[in-house]
Amino acid sequence: MKLKTEVLIVGGGATGVGIARDLSLRGIPCILIEKGDLASGASGRNHGLLHSGARYAVTDPQGAIECISENRILRRIAPHCIEETGGLFVSLPEDDLCFRDQFLQSCEAVGIPTRLLSRDQALSIEPELNPELLSAIEVPDGAVHSFKLVMENAMDAEKMGANLLLHTELTSLLLNKNKVNGAKAKNLISGEEYLIEPSFLVNATGAWANQFLRLAGLKIEMALSKGSLLITNQRLNQRVINRCRPPSDGDIIVPNETVSILGTTSVRSDEAENFETTPQEVSLLINETSRLIPSVQEVRLIRAYAGIRPLLQSAGVNGDRAISRGFTLIDHEARDGVKNLISITGGKLITYRLMAEKTSDLICEKMGVRIPCSTHLTPLSGATQASDVKTQLKKLNPTLSKEKKEILCDCELVERGEVERILIDCKLKEPLDILRRTRLAKGTCQGGFCLYRLLGVLHERGMVQKDSSNLLKGFLEERWKGIRPILWGDALKEEELIEGIYKGIFNLTPTHPSPLEEGQGGGARH
Amino acid sequence: MHYDLIVIGMGLSGLMAAKTATEAGRKVLIIGKGIGGLALFSNSIDVLGIPSLAGPETKSLKDDLSQWILDHPNHPYGKIGAEKIEEALSSFNALFPPPYTFQAKNGSNSLLPTGAGTFRPTYLIPSTMMKGTTIKNKKILLIGFKGYKDFYAQQLADSFLCRAVTLSLSGMSQAEINSTTLARWMEQPTFREWIGTEIKKQILNEELVGFPAVLGLKDPMGVRKDLEKRIGLPVFEIPALPPSIPGMRIFRRFKERLIQRGVTFLLGHSVSKAYVNRERCERIEVLNPPLLTSYTADCYILASGRFMGGGLKADREKISESIFNLPLSQYEVREKWFGDSFFDDHPVHGVGISTDSTFHPIDESGRPILENVWVAGTILAHHHFIQEKSREGIEIATGYWAAKQGIDSL
Repeated sequence: MKLKTEVLIVGGGATGVGIARDLSLRGIPCILIEKGDLASGASGRNHGLLHSGARYAVTDPQGAIECISENRILRRIAPHCIEETGGLFVSLPEDDLCFRDQFLQSCEAVGIPTRLLSRDQALSIEPELNPELLSAIEVPDGAVHSFKLVMENAMDAEKMGANLLLHTELTSLLLNKNKVNGAKAKNLISGEEYLIEPSFLVNATGAWANQFLRLAGLKIEMALSKGSLLITNQRLNQRVINRCRPPSDGDIIVPNETVSILGTTSVRSDEAENFETTPQEVSLLINETSRLIPSVQEVRLIRAYAGIRPLLQSAGVNGDRAISRGFTLIDHEARDGVKNLISITGGKLITYRLMAEKTSDLICEKMGVRIPCSTHLTPLSGATQASDVKTQLKKLNPTLSKEKKEILCDCELVERGEVERILIDCKLKEPLDILRRTRLAKGTCQGGFCLYRLLGVLHERGMVQKDSSNLLKGFLEERWKGIRPILWGDALKEEELIEGIYKGIFNLTPTHPSPLEEGQGGGARH
Repeated sequence: MHYDLIVIGMGLSGLMAAKTATEAGRKVLIIGKGIGGLALFSNSIDVLGIPSLAGPETKSLKDDLSQWILDHPNHPYGKIGAEKIEEALSSFNALFPPPYTFQAKNGSNSLLPTGAGTFRPTYLIPSTMMKGTTIKNKKILLIGFKGYKDFYAQQLADSFLCRAVTLSLSGMSQAEINSTTLARWMEQPTFREWIGTEIKKQILNEELVGFPAVLGLKDPMGVRKDLEKRIGLPVFEIPALPPSIPGMRIFRRFKERLIQRGVTFLLGHSVSKAYVNRERCERIEVLNPPLLTSYTADCYILASGRFMGGGLKADREKISESIFNLPLSQYEVREKWFGDSFFDDHPVHGVGISTDSTFHPIDESGRPILENVWVAGTILAHHHFIQEKSREGIEIATGYWAAKQGIDSL
């Protein structure tokens, strides 16, 4: 299929969908292609922190200013994706109090409001904190539901006419000296091929930036840094808890709905895909974050996961923690003489909107039009929906409503109706994508039971035909990546149960042929 | 209170041990936190279903076992021997007289359809499931129930290339439909009459009707017979997600027999401490707050299961045995407990208690540690029951033989 558009955006992370929404609000037509699902890269694999900027105040004041400004904008335009928890920077006896003073001064300099709390004040509002703490500084950190934020941006852009093609991979670029004339793409599920002819092309592929640029014979200096995180099966803290010391491994615990997220590590990675959390990282995260909240040592973990940060390199900097977490907008016309190609990379989830604004501004400038950005003023359309406590509780616990419901996921109380609604509304072609759109399989058993049930529902809806054990195996392998690093204690017991079901009762094996292809004559066919 | 023999653990191995001891005329106490994997995983009796052996439906299980024992002398089966494994299985079978029996087809493994649309090699099959072994050559209608989320007839029908009907139970007033609710309903003639009529209307040219394994707890053969009469076709059961109704049937039967024979049955209790003096267990304590009770016996059978059962514990650094702190077979650091793929044969599953040939626990040098304690069931080392499809076989055979050894010492 041949498609013409003004702007082709490659990458369905926060930045890509942010650009799609920004351009759509400006009335500029665009197509977005994403080789996986929305937010399947770093946008969906982070700690969901609504940065106040305080973390960067000392080391990167410019980054801190961007954070606090975007923090305020997001509270306005996306209140439904945010929990206004507040945050603390906790000083422990082994931490240098000079850093604390420097931290307070730097926050003041960049306009981040702070309040110094005594040990007792801090413990009275966060009783799980390490009682050895010396003091804590209150900052306006928060928690953000990152996938929801990406989805909402995407839905808004679509409503305004943007064309989002998921599971569609860029396969080649048609170059003509100083211009990209077209892009070839392929839908990885249906196999359909596209020839897209845009006036401008935006590379918003994050960690995959150089894979994209290779198609144009270009390259940027970029480092990939893996950050691993752990999810606890209960919420340990009300506020975001940070360690008041220079940025380091295991210095943050972010509350997120019913869980807490322990983060993070920073390990240089060669690949943008196929990475996992190592047991060493798990031990390091537990040991470090348990200095902030001691019960981390005992609490049950439900999953480990990792994301890849794309970091822009500049000469003479040592260590990835020192590389700027700021973003870079590259006009390849100025840099490489390719007129209509732009790369936007680096940055953080919280600055996605600003990154989209700057990219869209550059496109407008190249187009020779002056349409101002309005994403900082226009709330996401979901922001106006009612979300009072009663409605939320009902959604959370279907037993409160009178209707009889079939709960597929017992850990997270996800009911069948919700799953079926999403399957229909989102026209999902890839069954695994449902897992990003519901709480299904996010609870203690990590899908041990509900993945099987989801498959049953897919069969009943006719979305899966014939033998589906390969799909089930795919689910189980995906699940395995997240739980393998944390298998001890109760999680190990649960694993014995899950293996007993799938490898035991159901005899699923990696090489097992489908039941009727064992060369013993079909039999039951009729 | 003093007993001849105390069994710690009420899974299949513990029950087998208690049965064996009480049938030898001994005074027995059995203590269990729960009923182990029985109510979760057990449907039929797996003994050895390794596909790398000659394969199911080809060789007799006895030949498979003999070969396996030659190749794996350390395996619990290696300590017992093929003949005596059969003896143990016969003892289990004796508990299930007709009509609800467990039988092997031609003395070898059969492929039984499962609730995931796969087949599993298994040995002793309960009467209600036997016809499932013939589905490859028959036209099948599969029955599911709307709102019953642990079995999806359409999914199975897509795998087995047959037809499915999912019945709506909206007439029944129940918030949630699970295996236990369905099994209870199945015991009511009015319910059977209703679904029987509904199913009969749906029959086209089918020859067999498959249900999830929920055909009642107390009298599955009666339930099946009645359904067959109403539908007009033979009926069989297919294993579903846990809990397992067929497993509960096994437990019920054991409990009935053991209580009848005077075994003291302590379900829902766990052993909090064992007192050992000069290589003998002197007594155990059972804490059931606020009560702390001591029991003594001449011999003890440890059948406390693995991690789920609580027999083994794992923290971030190490694995340990919960009651006697017995030494475990060699194992690696945590990083190596599990393989990269879910389907790997994970090294952690081979960890357990090493014993001598009489199931006495031994230390690193191979010397018996406790002269009046015998170990049975999945807590034993050197087997991978999930991979081997040997769960029930190991439980039955080791429970039987550990108890025999205990009795012989009295």
